[in-house]
Amino acid sequence: MIFLFIGLPLVVAAFMPLIGKISKKFLPDLLANAVFLVLLVLAATSGRQLIAGGPVLQSLSWLGEPVAVQVAVDGFSLLMLMAIALVTLSAGLYSVNYMNHYGSKANYYALLLMMVTGMNGLVLVTDLFQVYLFLEVAAIASYALVAFGLEHDELEASFKYLMLSVVASAAVLIAIAVLFGATGSLSFAGVAEGLRGLNSKFAVGACAALFLMGFGLKAALIPFHAWLPDAHPSAPAPISAILSGLLIKVSGVYALTRIFFNVFGLEPGAWLSQVLMGLGIVSAVLAAFLAIGQKDLKRMLAYSSISQVGYVVLGIGIGTPLGVLGGLFHLFNHALAKGLLFLNSGSVQQATGTRNLDEMGGLAKRMPVTAATSLVGSLSIAGVPPLGGFWSKLIIIIALVQAGHGILAVAAVLASVVTLWYYLVIQRKAFFGKLDEKWKAVKEAPFWMTAATVILALLVIGTGIFFSLVIKTWIQPASDALAKGF
Amino acid sequence: MNWQIPLLCGVVVFCALAILAKDLIKSAISLAVASVLLGILFFTMKAPYAGVFEISVVAGLITVLFMLTIALTKAEGEVKERRWVKIAFPLFFAAFIVIDVLVMKSLLSKLAIAPAGAESGSFGDVLWKQRTFDLIGQLAVILAGVFAVLALFRKKDNHD
Repeated sequence: MIFLFIGLPLVVAAFMPLIGKISKKFLPDLLANAVFLVLLVLAATSGRQLIAGGPVLQSLSWLGEPVAVQVAVDGFSLLMLMAIALVTLSAGLYSVNYMNHYGSKANYYALLLMMVTGMNGLVLVTDLFQVYLFLEVAAIASYALVAFGLEHDELEASFKYLMLSVVASAAVLIAIAVLFGATGSLSFAGVAEGLRGLNSKFAVGACAALFLMGFGLKAALIPFHAWLPDAHPSAPAPISAILSGLLIKVSGVYALTRIFFNVFGLEPGAWLSQVLMGLGIVSAVLAAFLAIGQKDLKRMLAYSSISQVGYVVLGIGIGTPLGVLGGLFHLFNHALAKGLLFLNSGSVQQATGTRNLDEMGGLAKRMPVTAATSLVGSLSIAGVPPLGGFWSKLIIIIALVQAGHGILAVAAVLASVVTLWYYLVIQRKAFFGKLDEKWKAVKEAPFWMTAATVILALLVIGTGIFFSLVIKTWIQPASDALAKGF
Repeated sequence: MNWQIPLLCGVVVFCALAILAKDLIKSAISLAVASVLLGILFFTMKAPYAGVFEISVVAGLITVLFMLTIALTKAEGEVKERRWVKIAFPLFFAAFIVIDVLVMKSLLSKLAIAPAGAESGSFGDVLWKQRTFDLIGQLAVILAGVFAVLALFRKKDNHD
């Protein structure tokens, strides 16, 4: 069953160009969204039962003979699978209307499905080299999706993303090669075992630095963030939602966390923990201030992503059970809320033809659903109760205080206030105030685009109101899995 | 005589030439030569399967693909580069070589490396019994690359 998370999107992607020859829009829309729905149902129902007794390792057999294909699922992977399924289904539904504008839908869905294959593969493998392979699958699909519109800005952003991402991949590959050389193994458990026997602080330090650089670039942590404010706004809106909502977390935060906890054995107070907290707080605070100065709606959201990933890394970096719980909960909350906000930005851009906040104003009168859902997403990320973002930030701040990092807790609160400020600026400039004469003819986004944003907004509200249930069902098992390892 | 150091130097020089060459054909040939040298290096390090793949796929097949693609493209005027771009790479490259010579040997000596023997098991054993999942991952990488090319080189049918 676990193989379906990788196999299903891969096989459907392979046939998508052929399906596009039969039907240009209807069948690609239907099939891709059906795959996303099946993956969501699998993650939400079967996945929970599967890991009830602890992490599950599955091997594939071919005609009764076992083959060396092994995947594993635990609470952390399942949380990521769930987040991937929720955001990709919303983005897929949104694409039904939105991507008509771009054309070549079958090709678009093929790439999107490949990106899902890459992300799902990355969270299910138990081997360092396979982490690298699926990282590349998701990355290659994302380069093409950023440039999908083929305009000058999109191609330039994609090229910049490609160049920096290649550096990240090279750093990750070198670290994997060094670990393989030192331990003779590539599996998480084998490398962890080998490193314990080796007791080589230098090897661990060198590899940790390379992984930090590689996955830090993928996660766009400051100072590795230069590509993100160009790449994410340039992509089509549903892709921006997936890149900011998911990809930076899966290929950056997930991979980093999994390796640091389950291979290097990160412990609270250790130097790795301090480096992660340092990178996290710098990203959370600096990117929040950088976001204020932006006039481009999507660019402001992109800087916000850097800031919020900073919170996630800060929480995880504390290394205590509460800190990790807060970090993972914020990862989930941000995936939903940022996915929602990027989809809304696409609706606004399609309706008005601009992303410049100074040219907007009063759009809530013409686009009430988009305005309302946008407010929900903004308030959640800003940390306003009772939405999910409030609870996750609160947990991170309590964990910081408990671990004796009072100054970092104050800085995290400050960054949250700044976040609230620029999200209120977005709301005021885009949706409230007097409706400009030139936007009189603007209409609410088409059905599927609106439906996708409403689904995500309801999830954001539900996650906040039922936060204890969400933590118990999805977040706590993920946090426990990190503590125990495979 | 230890051929590995001259071979490694050759790999670095031809990789640098591949980046610095203005002519795409010369760039592709430099990359192919670097791959051949790397393949030979693999043989000297008792990794014949890696060497065969490096020479046949990277130096052979991929170079042919590059040549075909270059032959199918048309030049659309020279792209002018800024002056700082022209000097940035050689400067970076020189700095890298200096740092490499000064510190890399002492750094590498601190890394504990497990003793490596000759490749164990037959090629089929390694591929089918140990690293089968890598094949699926590589298949997915190739598929993603094909879809990326199809998307980026498509005829724009906007507003269809």
